[in-house]
Parts: sequence; C-alpha cells; structure tokens
Amino acid sequence: MNYIVLIKQVPDIRHIPKEAWDWEKGTLKRGLLDNVCNELDKQAMAMALSMRKDRDGKIIALTMGPPFATEILRYAMSIGIDEGVLITDRKFAGADTTATAYPLAQAIRKIQKEIFAGSDDFVVLAGMQSVDGDTAQVPPQLAEELGIANISYVTTVTFEKDNMLAERITRRGAETVSPTKMPCLLTVTEWAETPFPSFARTRWAEKETTREWSVEDIEADTTRVGLGGSRTNVVKIFSPKESSNRVCIFEHDLNKVVQGLKETYNKKLNEISSEAVTSDYKLPEGKQSDYKGDVCVYVEQDDGEIHPATYELLGKAAELAATLGEKVGAVLVGSNVKGLSDALISYGADKVFVIDNPLLAHFLPTSYTKAISRMVEQHEPQIMLFSATPQGRELAPRIAYKTNSGLTADCTQLDIVDFTRGKKEATAILKQTRPALGGNIMASIVSQNSKVQMTTARPGVFAAIEPDSTRKGEVIDVVVEITEDDLGAKIVTSELLPSTSELSDATIIVGGGKGLRTKEGFDKYIHPLVEGFEQYFGEQAMAGASRMAVESGFIERTHQVGQTGQTVKPTIYVAVGISGAIQHVTGMQSSDIIIAINRDPDAAIFKVADFGIVGDLEEVVPGLIKALKTSEVQQNV
Amino acid sequence: MSKAVGSDLNKADILFVGAGPASLAGAIKLQQLLKESGRSESVVVVEKGNKVGNHTLSGAIFDAEVLDELLPDWKQDEHPFIKKMLENEVQKDSVKYLTHHFAVSVPNFILPSDMKNEGLYTVSISELTAMLAEKATQLGVEIYTGFAARDIVEENGFVKGVKLGDKGLNQEGEKQSNYVAGEEIKANVTVFGNGCLDPVLDRLTDKFEMTKDKNPQIYSVGVKEIIKLPEENNFGSNRVIHTMGFPNRRLTPDVFGGGTIYSMGGNYVAVALIMGLDWRYCDLNPQQELQVYKSHKYVSKLIEGGEVVAYGAKTIPEGGYYSMPELVTNGAVIIGDAAGLVNIRKMKGLQYAVKSGIVAAEAIFASIQKGDYSKESLSAYKTALDDSFVGKDMRGARNYRQVFEKAKRVGVYLGAPLTKIQRLLPFRLKTHPDYKSMKKSKLKRDYSEGVDRLTDVSYSGTFHREEQPSHITFVNTDDCRECEAKYGLNPCVCFCPGEVYKVEEGKMMLSPSNCLHCKTCRVKCPYENIVWEVPEGADGPKYKVM
Repeated sequence: MNYIVLIKQVPDIRHIPKEAWDWEKGTLKRGLLDNVCNELDKQAMAMALSMRKDRDGKIIALTMGPPFATEILRYAMSIGIDEGVLITDRKFAGADTTATAYPLAQAIRKIQKEIFAGSDDFVVLAGMQSVDGDTAQVPPQLAEELGIANISYVTTVTFEKDNMLAERITRRGAETVSPTKMPCLLTVTEWAETPFPSFARTRWAEKETTREWSVEDIEADTTRVGLGGSRTNVVKIFSPKESSNRVCIFEHDLNKVVQGLKETYNKKLNEISSEAVTSDYKLPEGKQSDYKGDVCVYVEQDDGEIHPATYELLGKAAELAATLGEKVGAVLVGSNVKGLSDALISYGADKVFVIDNPLLAHFLPTSYTKAISRMVEQHEPQIMLFSATPQGRELAPRIAYKTNSGLTADCTQLDIVDFTRGKKEATAILKQTRPALGGNIMASIVSQNSKVQMTTARPGVFAAIEPDSTRKGEVIDVVVEITEDDLGAKIVTSELLPSTSELSDATIIVGGGKGLRTKEGFDKYIHPLVEGFEQYFGEQAMAGASRMAVESGFIERTHQVGQTGQTVKPTIYVAVGISGAIQHVTGMQSSDIIIAINRDPDAAIFKVADFGIVGDLEEVVPGLIKALKTSEVQQNV
Repeated sequence: MSKAVGSDLNKADILFVGAGPASLAGAIKLQQLLKESGRSESVVVVEKGNKVGNHTLSGAIFDAEVLDELLPDWKQDEHPFIKKMLENEVQKDSVKYLTHHFAVSVPNFILPSDMKNEGLYTVSISELTAMLAEKATQLGVEIYTGFAARDIVEENGFVKGVKLGDKGLNQEGEKQSNYVAGEEIKANVTVFGNGCLDPVLDRLTDKFEMTKDKNPQIYSVGVKEIIKLPEENNFGSNRVIHTMGFPNRRLTPDVFGGGTIYSMGGNYVAVALIMGLDWRYCDLNPQQELQVYKSHKYVSKLIEGGEVVAYGAKTIPEGGYYSMPELVTNGAVIIGDAAGLVNIRKMKGLQYAVKSGIVAAEAIFASIQKGDYSKESLSAYKTALDDSFVGKDMRGARNYRQVFEKAKRVGVYLGAPLTKIQRLLPFRLKTHPDYKSMKKSKLKRDYSEGVDRLTDVSYSGTFHREEQPSHITFVNTDDCRECEAKYGLNPCVCFCPGEVYKVEEGKMMLSPSNCLHCKTCRVKCPYENIVWEVPEGADGPKYKVM
C-alpha cells in the first residue's frame, strides 16, 4: 500500500512575536511569523509512517504553495517521508478551498500514474484542518473531486486481513469505519507524538531533489485554479476586537473576582434574553437580488435526535429569509425521519425536504453528499446553512464542491448586503464572517460564481426562536436513488457514549485543560472548584475538559468541550489551564461569562474571557475556592 | 521502510558547533578558501536554535570593517540587512553618568578613543547571523538548525566531532514513540563556536585540559528589551547612549556594568543593562533591575510612549585575556564567546568573534592541505589571532576587569584611573568564580514597576517541549534548603532572567520551559548546585530582532 500525505506550510501562530501585531489595523504582519508545517499535518505523516509498519509502501508528501514551500517537503523527508511533490504556479494564487482541492486532486492522479505505476492501492492522509485557514474543507472536496470516500477525525488505523479499520471520533462517541474501495482519504486528528527529524535524514533531504509541478504538468484546467477558479472571495480582514465586546479584566485579588462575577451574573439574569432579531437591509430600488430561492438548513440528527445547533440555524435562516422575502427550508436526511418534520416546522421551517432511505440510516459523507446534492439541483435554494459541527464540516465541503457552490467555514456572523468592488456589483448577497488564523483575525467572505451560497456556522452563536407548535409548513419528499455502492465505507462498530445532555444543561461549567498536567491534578483542582461554584451560586455545576485533557485520560470523553466535543453555553464557564486553542474556544465562547485561569498572560483564552487570572493554578484554584467560601459566608450573615 | 539514506551523512570534513557570528564567519571563509583551491571538503554547521539567529543576542554596535575580509563588496550588497545596517550608522554617541535623579554628560575628551562609536553601526545580531547564514548557504556551507550538541566525540586523543542530544524522551527519561537517539557527527576538525557557558565546552576543556593554569572565567549578564517607540519620539535615530551609575544604589557602585540605549531603526530602540555576575546581593533580579533602570527620569523620558516587543538575556565572558582557555587541541579549535573573546573595556565582542572565525578558517584550511589536524598544525590559528587586532586588544585589556573586582569596595571611580595603568602591570591579576561573591546583603528594591518578568519571558518567544526531561536539575535539593536558610531566600529565584526557579510551599519548583539559555544559573548559584544541560534541539528562545 502507498501513501500520499497532504501537508501545508502555515504561519506559526503558536509563537506570534509581539511586533507582528499591527495594532492600528488589528491584523497580523504575516511576514514576521515563521513558516512551519501545519501541526496536524505532522500527525498525518506520523500516521502514515505508522501504517507503513503494517503495509509497506512509498510515502509521498504533497503540498501546494510558493517555491519556498519546498522547505516543508524537506522537513517531511527528514522525518521519514520518501519523496516530496510541490505544485507551484503563479496561476494558483488566490485559490480558495475549491481551487485548491482541484489541482491537488490532479497532482494525486499524476502521482498515481507516475510514481505508483497506476496502482489504486493507496491512501491519502491529511491533517484535520490547517491553523491558518482552519476550514477543514480541502480534504473532503478533494475526495469529492477524486470520487473517493473520506473518513474524518481519524484517531487510529489498524489492519485486519484485507480490511483497513479506521477509528474515528464522532460527536457522541467513536466509530470504526472501513472503506469499501481504495483509494480513500483519511483526515487525522491529533493522535501521537510528533516525529522528530534525525540529522542524517535532514542532511539527506537537503541534498535530495523534490518534484515541482506546474499547472501544465498536472494537466489542470486553468479556469478552475487560482482566484478565478475560486467560489469564495475574501472582501475584508479586520480585528476580532471590532466584533467582540468582551474585554478581559485581569485581577489578582480573588475576592474581587468573586465579587465582580456575582455582579455580572446577576446582571445577566436580569437581561431580557429574547431580543427580537431584525435586519435593516432593504433591497435597493430598481435592483434585483442576485440569488433566488429558499434559505435552507441541513438538519443534523442522530437516531432521530435533532442537534440543537439545527434549531439555531433555523432561527438565523428565518431572519435571513424574512429579509429576502423568501421561505425557510429544512433538509432532513435519514431513515424513518419524517416524523421530525413537525419539530422543524415549529422552529421556523416553512418547508421540510425529506430524503428518506434505509441506506441513509447512518451518516456517511459520500451517500449523504449524493442525496443532498440532488435535492439542491432539484430545488435550487439560494442559501444553504450547515452547523459547523464535525458532521457539518465533513459534509458541506463535498456538497458545495459537487454543486459548484462557494462555501465558507465556521461563520460567526451572517448578513445580507449589497457589495461593489471595481466593476463588480452584487445585490442582496450573503456576507459570511468568520475568525481565521486561530481567531487572531476576522475575515468577511462572499460567494462568487456559485450556484448556492453555502456556509457552515458555528454552533452556539445564533439563537433559536421560541418553538410554536401551531406553525404550518409543507413536507416535500425528495426521491434520490441510493445504492450500496454510494456508501464508500461501512460502519463496522459504533460506540455511543452515555447521553451527554447533562453537560449542556449545566449552568456552570469548570473546564480543565492540559495545564493540570495529570489526572491527579485534574481531580485535585477541578472537582473541588465545581463544588465551590455549585454551592456559591446554588446552580448545577459540572466539569468540562479540553480535548488534550480527555486524550490524556484526565476525564471521560463525555465531558469534552470543543469542536470534536460538545458546544456548551452555560451562564458561567471557568477555563482552568486551558490555552484557548480555537478548537476548544469554538465550543464554549458563547457562554455568558467566561473566567480564565492561566499562567501564560498571552494565552489565547484571555481573548474570549471576561475575567482573567494570571498565575499558577496550583495557587489560584485553592484561592478561588476559599474566596467563594468566604464570600458565601458573608452573603449569609 | 523509509528510503535508506547512506551512513556517510553523519560525517563532515569540518564541523562548526553553533551558528553564531564566529562560526558563520569561519564557515564562509573556509568555504571560500576551499572553493578557490578547487577542493570539495564539506563544511557543516549545527545549531541548537530552531533557526539561525534565534539564540543569538548582543547589543550590538558592530565595527563592520571586519566584513571586508568576508564579503568584499558588502557595502554595495542589496541584502535588506546590509541596507538596514547602513541606515543605522552611529552619528550621535554619548556617555552619561546617572545619579538617582539626573544625567550628567561624560565629556567626550576624557573617553579613550576606542570607546567611541561614531561611524560604527547598530545591528541586531539575530538579523546579522541570519544574513551570514544566507551567504554561507549560497556558498555551499551546510547549516542544520534544531540539532543540539550534547557531548564531544573523542578518539585516540583527538576530538572527532560531537554527539547530539536525544529527542523524544518523556519527563521520566523514557523513550516515547517518536524517540530519536542522539547521533554522532564525525569530523576531522570540530570548531567550537557555541558561545558562552555551553556545558559541551566544559567537556572539551576538561578532557583536553584546556583551562589549566588559567584564571577562572567570570561573566556578566545582559538583559535587553526591544522597545517600539511612537513615530514622534524623544530618542531619534542613529544614536547610542551608554550610561554608568544608576541603578547602582550608591555613589560607589556596587554592581559592575552599565546601561545601553541604541536606536535600531524604524522607531525601535534596544535598552539593555549589563551586570557583572560578581554582584553580592542575593535578591538582585536582573530583569527587574532593567525595569528600575527604565524608570529613571532620564531614561523614561527617552523611551516615553514606547512598548516592549521583545526580551532576552545572555551572559558575557569578561575575564579577558587571562581567562581564555587554550584555543586549540587535537582536532578542535575554540572561537568567539566560547573562547572568551570579549574586550570588556570596549564592551565589544562581535568583531572579535567574526575575526576569530576567519583566522581559524585560514588555519584549518592550511591543515586540510597538509592533512594534519593535530594541535601543532591547528596552532597556526592561535598565533595568527595573537598577531591580529584581537590579540592586541585582548592583551591591552588583560587586567582591566580584575581591577574593578579589586576596587569594588572603593568603586569604579577609583577603578577607572587604575584601568589606565592596568596594562602596565607586569603580572596577572587573579579572578574569582562568580558564585563566590554572593553575600547575605540585600538590595531590598521595590520591584513592582514596569514589565513583570513572566511577561517579558513571553516576549522572548521561548518554548520548550514540556514532556522532555528537565534540562535544569539540582545536584541535591538539601543544598537549596541550606541556601535558603543562609540567605533568607533562594538567590536563583531572583537572579534568573527567565523565572525558571520558584519556591512554592517551601519546595523548589522548576519551570525549565521559561529558560532563556543565558546560563546565569551555571555560575551564580552560591552552592554550585545547578546543572544546566542543553535541552532538545529547536527549543529555547526565538529571538528575531535581538
């Protein structure tokens, strides 16, 4: 078996020198950041190296970028990869994920032909996402272009006779998936120690030549690459400060922290929570909107249980549809799911498109892509929203690619706007705003040359409307023929962890991270702090954890908060020893009040916190518990 | 299986350890000589920093004339570093004596001519080394960063290269899944340009008895911040200021050293404080002393509205001529800071480092031609260095620093005239290791102003993989308790510019991840109780503009 690992050169956002910030513009001077190999791509290479121990073969590292991107190919070779391929051409500049996936797929076809002697017994591996773009879209789109299965969030791969078994993380547990055909694509989540280069291999890699292929070499259609081949366009980059009203108050005096917390808490309780959302967009007179059709929402469901983020999206879709004078559609896929239509209608759907098929009982990217793409072709919505959940981010890229639509990942803001740039004029289009570069900058993006404007939206950001069971809506059956062949992979085992509703029900969550170092540390500090908060506020408090804490075995996965865990929205979130990686922040940033305890004053977590305590948690946590107790006693006196 | 990659990859002809200015200059020179004579010996540089420049720090005022020998047409070079350097020629040069409240100009005419800086350039040594590395690579020198030499390889009385440190051990020293054993890199000549206080250097000088009958080396620590000033600022450009006095507490100065403020171009200034490690205060915190320095009325006015963007610390060997180790042994030479080539009277080391690299390269080239790498053959380096301006300057200042040590009680102002006659002294003045100078006396300074130490540490960009074995250990922790009992505190908690040491609930706690690789702790612990080893390659500070 052979291997192709997709790698990407990215700015080193773990070490941002202070002078790299442009405070006036609120953006980063990328030139001052080191260029490094994307961390998760190193994990993908580590996985390929480990798979090769079972199934020997060649490992090729493939990247697209400017000529100096050969640096990471040499790095790849220094840790054990056999050959490096760089596709580089001025014509690739300005590419979005669609215009990146296509030439990469062309390069893979060429590798298969020329290096693997035509054999299709190979696996494409990629990191789950890159730290700069952070879209996680290229691998699924590339799989769509190649017409192969993609298995995402893979943690381990084993071989059993002729079968490859990939274990992957799902929202509620884990599954083992086996591809039914080769080649296939795996995206890898953090799973092992990053390999180190040896001196000998580094020196060898330095002397070895790497392949550099141009747009002609890979026989790519030039209209499908670069800015021209892109279906999205970044229209504005700005500082996250403009969009967030959180200002972290740093405080050393823990009694003051508790006092401030209580005051803010009481204030939040009194706030009127159900503000009516309105948009003041008006279609300019004499103009026609560029897109026509419904505003659709993909319904994410597990065994008949609808993901709460779907309701949030219906809320947002209702607002957008009202602005545009269109209807809200819900796209419901599964087996025996029609019964869920009423709930969707009560939350704002005017139409429910139902694709019901026994073969769609379990989510698999290839079959779901086929089903939904057919619906899109038949009913031509103008906007399609997916939740930026693991499933949404796995599925949406393929559908967007197949339906020639632009897709923006992980949006936190969606508006209808008119837009002019040069001679180009757009009317009533969807402006999609999202954090990028690990949350260090914000980018506003619009679709171009797109059938549908597609977006994955961050869970917990938009509000669901109050359900109304008297609402009426239309249920439309969409017939799509699905065969076994469309599945691409089969689910071998599926392990559903106990229901996790408790964590999302908690008013207060104390999340522990890697900073706690050991399970003993987690037990010693997090649980007493949970009790402390519970007693002080008289509300249910629970322990949460970052992915690293879960991976390190501090606590079960059901407590994991973040992109591959749960999205929570408690009144108070306390982040203890959590650095604030975007994957975690995604899952908790909508909490009403956020307190962060970290020894690193520059930790990203403080950017989303209301209260910040800089210090060693061994000191701060006991102090905070004491302050909660003292303050409680005073309250009761 | 990975593609097999031949075994001769672990062999070089000439190996430079450490990609500082000395090594890079040497590698460039050697490669030029080899090329000119049509030879193809391999010249390899290994560096523990993640990138060239990440672990270099200096003032720095650069006497660029020394580049003539290396890059003949450098003034016409379009390299951004050269252009920036030329823009930063020193035009205003002054020395101030700072009392607690005022700054008094020290008139130019009483300063020796070699302490004047007009016509020289202020540079970032991180940027200088990065430029030299580019030039070296273009010539065909092989530079590998992220590889830390941990020991020397010896065969039959010859140095035959270095052994790298292991990577991928966990805190307990067990092998992780990504373990890579430290490789040996063999070479005919190993050039040690690994800077001040590298333990690998001790292994070399101990094994080959290269410090026998020498004065103990003594050191300063320099702490430095790069500050971005507003467009409209009080400092201006092309300006350097050296200060004496404050933050010394008394008229008779109690800590040897002084402050520097240099314009670095683009509204950046470098503010640094250099302190002789023979200070006696057990509670002196160099990073905080820098904050005290910056709070002086004169200094704070100059840097008004500025914001710290980078921070770092480095030790400087200042024992001078009599503290220099033997520079040559079978199969090895020592250059730059590692050789103690700092002239503390001029407060300069950079051009000596560069020159020593060049001279060493010439001697090595002659040895390659002869095929003789013995001490005798390589000794041409020592002779040539002695004959060059480096030897002359080093001999000229040979008792300079010792005079201050002797005169400490009476102070620098008595010491200063003594320095005029120090070169006439026909004998050698002794030095004493820095750790011996620690006394129970305290500065009792209010360290609450300015940037706190941990924040500054974050500006250094330092980073160490947490899971590796601590690269800093104690010989025994009982000594720490005894030390605390004696001084009323553990001095390491104060003297470390990186806040590596911390006492919690009566227990010494280490944060090796904060380490700036200055190695002050190797020489300042009064119990000589701290062992500093080179951590995994690529870890450590990430200086870019230092």
